[in-house]
Amino acid sequence: MNIDYTKELALVEGNPRLADIDEIITRPLTQPPTRKYYIALSISSTALLIGAYSLWLTLYYGIGMWGNNIPVGWAFDITNFVFWIGIGHAGTLISAILFLLRQRWRTGIARFAEGMTIFAVMTAGIFPVIHTGRPWLAGYLIPYPNQHLLWPNFVSPLLWDVFAVSTYFTVSLMFWYMGLIPDFAILRDQTVNKIKKTIYSFFSLGWRHSNRHWRHYEKTYMIMAGLATPLVLSVHTIVSFDFAVSLIPGWHTTIFPPYFVAGAIYSGFAMVMTVLILVRKVFDMENIITLNHLERMAKVMLLTGSLVAYSYLMEFFIAWYSQIPAEQYDFWARVVGPYRWAWYFMISCNALIPQLIWFKKIRRSVTVLFIISICANIGMWFERFVIIVQSLSRDYLPSSWHMFTPTLVDFGVLTGSFGLFFTLVLLFAKTMPVISIVETKSVLEGAQPTVHGGSDHE
Amino acid sequence: MAENLDNQNNNEQPKESDSNYWQSFKELYKDISFTEAKKLEFQKGVEDEFDVDKLPAVSRRKFLALVSASAALAAAGCSDYNGNGKIIPYNTKPEEITLGKPNYYASTYVDNGLDYGILIKTREGRPIKVDGNPDHPVSKGKTSAKAQSAILGLYDPERLQQPLRKTTSGNFMKSTWQHVDQEISKSLSNIGGKEISIISSKIISPTTLKVIQDFQQKYSGAKLYSYQIFNEEIKNSAWKKCYGSGLFPSIKWNEAKIILALESDFLGTDGNKVESSRMFAEGRNTSDLDNFNRLYSIEGNLSLTGLNADYRMRLRPDLQFEFVMSLVHEISKQGISVGVDPSILNQYNLYDFAQKNSLYGNVLQLLVGDLIKNKGAAIIYAGRSLPENVQVAVNLLNEALGNTKLYTQDTIELPNSSLSSTSDWENLVQSMNNGEIGAIINFDTNPVYHLPSDLGFVEAVKKVPLIVSLTESENESSELAHYVLPISHPFESWGDAQTRLGYYSMQQPVISPLFYTRQKEEVLLAWISGNYKENIYHDYLMNYWQSTIYPTLNEMLDFNRFWLGALQRGVVNTGNIPKSVGNFNKEVLVILNQNQSNISGYAVFLKEGYATGDGKYANNGWLQELPHPVTKVTWDNYASISVATAKQMNVEEKDIIEITLDDRKLKIPVVIQPGSADNTITIELGYGRSKCGVVGQGVGFNANVLMSKSSAFGPWIYTSASIRKTGDTYDIVSTMEHHPIDDPLVSGVVKERKIILEGTVSDYKKNPKFIQEQRSMDTATLYNRLDFPGVKWGMSIDLNKCTGCGECVISCNAENNIPVVGKDQVKVSREMQWMRIDRYYSGSAEDPKVSLEPMLCQQCDHAPCENVCPVAATNHSNDGLNQMVYNRCVGTRYCSNNCPYKVRRFNFFNFKDHFRDGYQESNLFDLVYNPEVTVRSRGVMEKCTFCIQRIMEAREDAIRDHKPLKGSDVVTACQEACGTSAINFGDMNDDKSEFYKFRNHELGYYVLENLNVRPNVTYLAKLRNTHSEEA
Repeated sequence: MNIDYTKELALVEGNPRLADIDEIITRPLTQPPTRKYYIALSISSTALLIGAYSLWLTLYYGIGMWGNNIPVGWAFDITNFVFWIGIGHAGTLISAILFLLRQRWRTGIARFAEGMTIFAVMTAGIFPVIHTGRPWLAGYLIPYPNQHLLWPNFVSPLLWDVFAVSTYFTVSLMFWYMGLIPDFAILRDQTVNKIKKTIYSFFSLGWRHSNRHWRHYEKTYMIMAGLATPLVLSVHTIVSFDFAVSLIPGWHTTIFPPYFVAGAIYSGFAMVMTVLILVRKVFDMENIITLNHLERMAKVMLLTGSLVAYSYLMEFFIAWYSQIPAEQYDFWARVVGPYRWAWYFMISCNALIPQLIWFKKIRRSVTVLFIISICANIGMWFERFVIIVQSLSRDYLPSSWHMFTPTLVDFGVLTGSFGLFFTLVLLFAKTMPVISIVETKSVLEGAQPTVHGGSDHE
Repeated sequence: MAENLDNQNNNEQPKESDSNYWQSFKELYKDISFTEAKKLEFQKGVEDEFDVDKLPAVSRRKFLALVSASAALAAAGCSDYNGNGKIIPYNTKPEEITLGKPNYYASTYVDNGLDYGILIKTREGRPIKVDGNPDHPVSKGKTSAKAQSAILGLYDPERLQQPLRKTTSGNFMKSTWQHVDQEISKSLSNIGGKEISIISSKIISPTTLKVIQDFQQKYSGAKLYSYQIFNEEIKNSAWKKCYGSGLFPSIKWNEAKIILALESDFLGTDGNKVESSRMFAEGRNTSDLDNFNRLYSIEGNLSLTGLNADYRMRLRPDLQFEFVMSLVHEISKQGISVGVDPSILNQYNLYDFAQKNSLYGNVLQLLVGDLIKNKGAAIIYAGRSLPENVQVAVNLLNEALGNTKLYTQDTIELPNSSLSSTSDWENLVQSMNNGEIGAIINFDTNPVYHLPSDLGFVEAVKKVPLIVSLTESENESSELAHYVLPISHPFESWGDAQTRLGYYSMQQPVISPLFYTRQKEEVLLAWISGNYKENIYHDYLMNYWQSTIYPTLNEMLDFNRFWLGALQRGVVNTGNIPKSVGNFNKEVLVILNQNQSNISGYAVFLKEGYATGDGKYANNGWLQELPHPVTKVTWDNYASISVATAKQMNVEEKDIIEITLDDRKLKIPVVIQPGSADNTITIELGYGRSKCGVVGQGVGFNANVLMSKSSAFGPWIYTSASIRKTGDTYDIVSTMEHHPIDDPLVSGVVKERKIILEGTVSDYKKNPKFIQEQRSMDTATLYNRLDFPGVKWGMSIDLNKCTGCGECVISCNAENNIPVVGKDQVKVSREMQWMRIDRYYSGSAEDPKVSLEPMLCQQCDHAPCENVCPVAATNHSNDGLNQMVYNRCVGTRYCSNNCPYKVRRFNFFNFKDHFRDGYQESNLFDLVYNPEVTVRSRGVMEKCTFCIQRIMEAREDAIRDHKPLKGSDVVTACQEACGTSAINFGDMNDDKSEFYKFRNHELGYYVLENLNVRPNVTYLAKLRNTHSEEA
């Protein structure tokens, strides 16, 4: 396996024809669902139903169905929220930042990652609403003019969250849809089914692949990418303010914004990796989502994982350096306190295991990458758990310290969030092209004009 | 515009339209149909809908709701007591009820043979809160947690609502008073020379005693037996032996400079806690350091008194005699004549004893020195549980040291009935077994639960042909009864009480009976006279007073006016107190020569429960959920043991052990209590009720089964117990997590974070600024310091006075409609109490020092909760309060997360509904709520508001009277209840007020000051009165 890194690798392997690309990518849309698909869908929708039932219990009886208490006012709810928001980070990063950086290898994975962003943010968006004691009043968080002249509290980070997440969701959705328009047009042209034709016609907005369309499209896409880029950084920065702005030891830290962004990208890439490894296998897309793609993603994980590890060390350093007893105690309690198991989980999954990616053999082994990506997902969930639950359970006054014990309903809601996410992913995979058809064609060998007409361009 | 108005005024307009506001033309033109409709209040058809018959099938809860709804209606309807005998409200303008204004009535609450003068606050005829009666010479405006919680007992939906009669099949059937009166009187009349045994608790009411005498006259076979599971009989009998007659006196705690408490919890459960803690705290004024008292406590288990001791040592209770004798010997060696044969004393040596039982010799040396130096100003107080020989030795010591000056005489010559002796009970059981007892009347008692099992009472009582139980709600004894007669709650009853010479306490009802109940005296009177009429006891009481007590008082007023005055004040002063204690009878000292009984195995010490008393309060949710003052455990009792004993038993916390005393066995979980004496098991009684309401049923363990009719050390102390580890565990829940005391990570936390600052009296004398020097510097801030012109509310808590009893917690519960959440919710740390008392240990696990700190919302100027609330549901008022707007709260809990004091409470469920399957949903329960305070729904955050409703009331009054609002106009519920006046509240901008001194005290500090949240609750640092040479 000697790869010459001095030359750009082929982004699509096997030298397929343009028509093959259409065929490969639209195959899941045109063929009836397989048995495997049904099995997967039934698993994910079962999880979704478990979540729905748990949620019903919560809404009917109250937050008391969860393990939350005083002092641990937030637990699984906000952990899940931050976790899913983090998952939603890879999509925009891949599609916007890598687009601006002209990383053409993003093509194979961008659409899927964007889709996952949308679904992850949808999943995440549920939690701020359901974690409130009276979700039917959650509308109070929206600034609307009213007779009482009552406005939300604009200095509350929770309100910033509302704006940050909704903006992020809107922009991501638009960006995703933008990219889908030419593909919808291709689908429209391909299909003979009347209903499908109507739907695709509607969503392709009259796209005719004309030069003018392309020119507008490319410009707009660039602008959208420019708009989305700061959001990648801002959303998790603002989510981290929920904690950083407070005064609880373990929360009150200025390192949180970059630390959270790095962690979010790390977990986002891990989730994209997990799902893509399955998708390329199931839908026979190994030629388009190549091992090289996975390797590149692994490198991003290595980078962000190391940033996260650095942040962990820095937190400890600052706690020591601050000479604030409560802060110092809290960090020691992470290592030796009652929640140390969660901390060990976090450290090994997020800081130690990704270091394996330094080895090329490991980077290019799909199985190992799959395991690493799963670990990263688990580790990042525990990171948020440690930050939220551990810090709250050991705050200033020892008299109010109390442990958090999750209930079945807590796990039900967590399961349900995975159920929702994967159900949406599966429906997406069956209804829309999971890889951009037009962009893939543009990165085929020989797709772009060259002076020497061969594969060794540039 | 103004001109126009003037013109209008000049024009003469029809007078009518000036005064009549109208809403429709129909009204204006006096349409007949409209005026008719107005009279009806509700539109036709509005009331039709509530038809019980039309409601769907009746579930248990709906049934309860309906039953109590009707009770509530009855209560609301009957709230006017006119015609049922005149009762007089406490305040000066009593004539009618002003809607929205509370009335206060003086009354008396009797608990465990003690009377508490209380003021009952009623709103629209509905009692809602109990406080102390300021005119009561003993209570002085304060009262106990149990008396405060009695209001909840009044509205207990599980009170018996009508008489029950046992059918031949053994089930209870509802009956009527007429019916049961007839049957019981007939049976009593045909008893045929057999005995009628009336089993009562200690009767402190002269009139009740008279009723019983009348009953005995009518039914010649009647005999009174009385018991009190916790009583002063040993102390009294020792006193009688020492001084010839009389009862043990009460103590002038406030004049004592040195207090040595031997296995005595005089600040908690031993004696009249309200009086003794008040007087004790009077001796701990930081402004009067020269008279600062010093408390030594030697006890087997860390008690409320031990928490407050300056020096505390642990000793198993069965060794107290040896200790006291050693102390006597040591004191006699110091040249004080004690009059004990030296040959007896020579068997004892204080320092050898100390070494053997790991007491601190140096502290004992200080103690001996202190006792001798403060002759006449020290008191040695043996707990009521200690055996007679200890009591005699202690009496001797006090006599020898001249400490008798600290005895007050007002309890010495009480004419009250004494309790029945063990042999009385044995005779009773014998007679029951022999069929000589014709009837048993449980006169508001529960002997089946209380009496020692080896007495054989339960088996014997089943042979009695007629058992009548007079009780408020069903209990273990009523289960065996043939008739269960519901009696009225004390707040529905008339009465009087005498526990001291010099005054009588008056009891008047504040609501007519909610159910078909009679007060217990009425039941007997009905059987005596043969026919019942309303007010029968009220008339009897008045007659008795007029004929017997009134003539002795030399009153100037005629009787009726005197009577009304007495009811209004709640107290009648008689004013004649004998002056001398009497001479010490040295012959009694032979008792000291007794050979000490064999001490071995584990000592078992049975103690009154802080919350449940003798079990009477088991169905009271407020008390069950009140954290234990020491362990903070709720909803259970347990075997409290020391760290070393746990190791030796090889048990951990929550393991169940089996304790065996002769053939009596008990399985009970263990709590490891720092500061316990080794090989000592302390258990609180009043739990493990097998027949009780849904709240108290099966809560805790019935340790009464360990009691024996005969024990060398009295009914509460046993020696030579053996234990066995059962291997089972049991969940004990507490409101504070237990941290291993030797965990180096945790042990330094309190000091490092400046949660508690404290020192010693000598520190303070040396450097009055020593606390200020430890405080954090005023931290710089980006924001402008907010200005609060006008009134700004603040609180100060004097930790020198706070004993940690928890009365403020109960008062807060009652004032602010705080729900009971139940054991399962306390377990997951969701208790709702707005006020808690934090307890921290320092030092070793064997002899810890304890620091207490009441914690409530600190109303920070820079409140961290306020800026994180996304909907501004919590915000700051102009008078410095951190407000909570329940309607606006969506329940993100962010405020609580960001609160460094964690004083916010969240309604994780609708707790009213959640606890015990909707127990608190009963409409009867709603009557206890303070109408000025919102009942919070689920999903809402809540917290202490400095009793904003009281502030608003004071403000409205001030506005109405055109006076400026003053800080002293407002008294918060916790402040009102605090028995030691540790809590002060007022306007911190008013530099002329008394409160200002507390706010700016040299000992004042804020908790977690370095966070710069600028709290408004000042804590005055605790000073331990240890010897200066030690520090």
